[in-house]
Amino acid sequence: MFKIINATGGYGKTTIIQDISLTVNEGEIVALLGRNGVGKSTLMRYATGLIPAMDGQVEIDSKIAPSAPAKRAKMGLGYVPQGRFVFPRMSVTENIAVAAASNGYNPKQTVADFLKDFPMLAPKASDLAGGLSGGQQQILALARALATRPKILLLDEPTEGVQPSIIDEMAGILKRINEQQGIAILVAEQDLDFCLSIAKRAYVMEKGCIKIAVDKESLLADKLLQQELLGV
Amino acid sequence: MEIDFLVTVLLSSLSSAAILLIAAMGLAVVFGLMGVINLAHSEFLMMGAYAALTITKAGVPYLLSIPIAVAITMAIGAVVEILIISRLYGRLFDTMLATWGLSMVLLQLAVLLFGTATPSINLPQFNISIGDYQLAGYPLILIGVAVIMLILIYLLMTKTTYGMQARASIQEPEMAQAIGIESSRVNTFTFALGCGLAGFAGAVLLPIIPATPSMGMAFAVKSFLAVVVAGPVALTGTALTAIGLGGGASITASLLTSVAGEVFFFIITAVLLWRYPMGISAKWRRKL
Repeated sequence: MFKIINATGGYGKTTIIQDISLTVNEGEIVALLGRNGVGKSTLMRYATGLIPAMDGQVEIDSKIAPSAPAKRAKMGLGYVPQGRFVFPRMSVTENIAVAAASNGYNPKQTVADFLKDFPMLAPKASDLAGGLSGGQQQILALARALATRPKILLLDEPTEGVQPSIIDEMAGILKRINEQQGIAILVAEQDLDFCLSIAKRAYVMEKGCIKIAVDKESLLADKLLQQELLGV
Repeated sequence: MEIDFLVTVLLSSLSSAAILLIAAMGLAVVFGLMGVINLAHSEFLMMGAYAALTITKAGVPYLLSIPIAVAITMAIGAVVEILIISRLYGRLFDTMLATWGLSMVLLQLAVLLFGTATPSINLPQFNISIGDYQLAGYPLILIGVAVIMLILIYLLMTKTTYGMQARASIQEPEMAQAIGIESSRVNTFTFALGCGLAGFAGAVLLPIIPATPSMGMAFAVKSFLAVVVAGPVALTGTALTAIGLGGGASITASLLTSVAGEVFFFIITAVLLWRYPMGISAKWRRKL
């Protein structure tokens, strides 16, 4: 369903990720693991088109994705970046509404539905997004991505700087949207427990390459691999 | 008699504030919202004035010439954004240099085309009298024009999909693209809108400020200061600074001398920038 094929990319002339291929199947949740600085975020940005491809390509729904990020979003690629990057001087409502409207969905209806689905945001609906707590911003960034009605959702370090109660809530939300709406998810994380609570298999990255692809059970069983690649 | 004098001073100060607000609105969008320093801004005001002047001379009613002037300056603004500004986002000094050059070219072009003399349009002038005092009517109309302009731009930016997309593209350009906003197209329109507002200012001020190639300069400094003092909440902030600074300077000028009015403007600006380096609205929890 979603494929990254022979991805090579980086910033300026510096290559950070090299010849990476991975696949996320229809309705699947896949984790992207690895220590800090192995290139997980760069791979995510490569997938969205926010950094130009030096080589390789991305396929969404078995169609080759055009290079412009906005076009990829319209093909069904949702993105929740590391550090959230909500629109700070726009209200919670507007953050969701602009995402829906830009993809041809009714903004008012989407906001009403989402405030029901994410009760945590409802009391903050007319507050500026910049004034929310880290956890609330993370939920909002997720809601904003979902308002584009994605087929595949890319999540970059969703638990970073988020209080534990919201981490649990987020795991619940991700499972729910995956099961009910069949949205496929690729989640980059350092928090192994969070990942393995939702994902069935994982790719492990090291130095800008995919080291191995493993399923949840083998990774849980292999303490040596966990220590070597993830430092846990 | 005293009351008449106060009302007269108040009305003329409000119209000074309105004129400053009309001239600063385009800057509030281009600099306040987008963060682009367009040093050719005063030339857009001038082009709006000459456009309205030329069209009126061709026999079109003055009121009809205003929207045409806006359309022309918007179109030129869009071309400038696509050719120059879009390549320089995030490069403040390069943008300043490029637009400074553009400003010189446009200024000289206007001198070549229209000369430095001051052609005027003959619009029926009217006065209203308050007690013993006479006030020109047109500047008073501009108070209403400024209010309507402010409300319309505020509604455009907060209530429409374009407005939300424009603010999203400016606040987080990458994320705006990642949720499907064609931000380069949106930015072109926003910049063009700012230029169109400058053109509107030039056209609508034409009856009281004759078109000359350097007419925009008279507004450039004060408009810029009003927008800088306003800070990140660009529209509400600029409305407030235009009333406070422009109106205050005008009151001071009426009570003392016109020099005192200028001194008031610049001293208050300096004090405000010293107390609020990021602008008076830096901590406001408002959208615009």
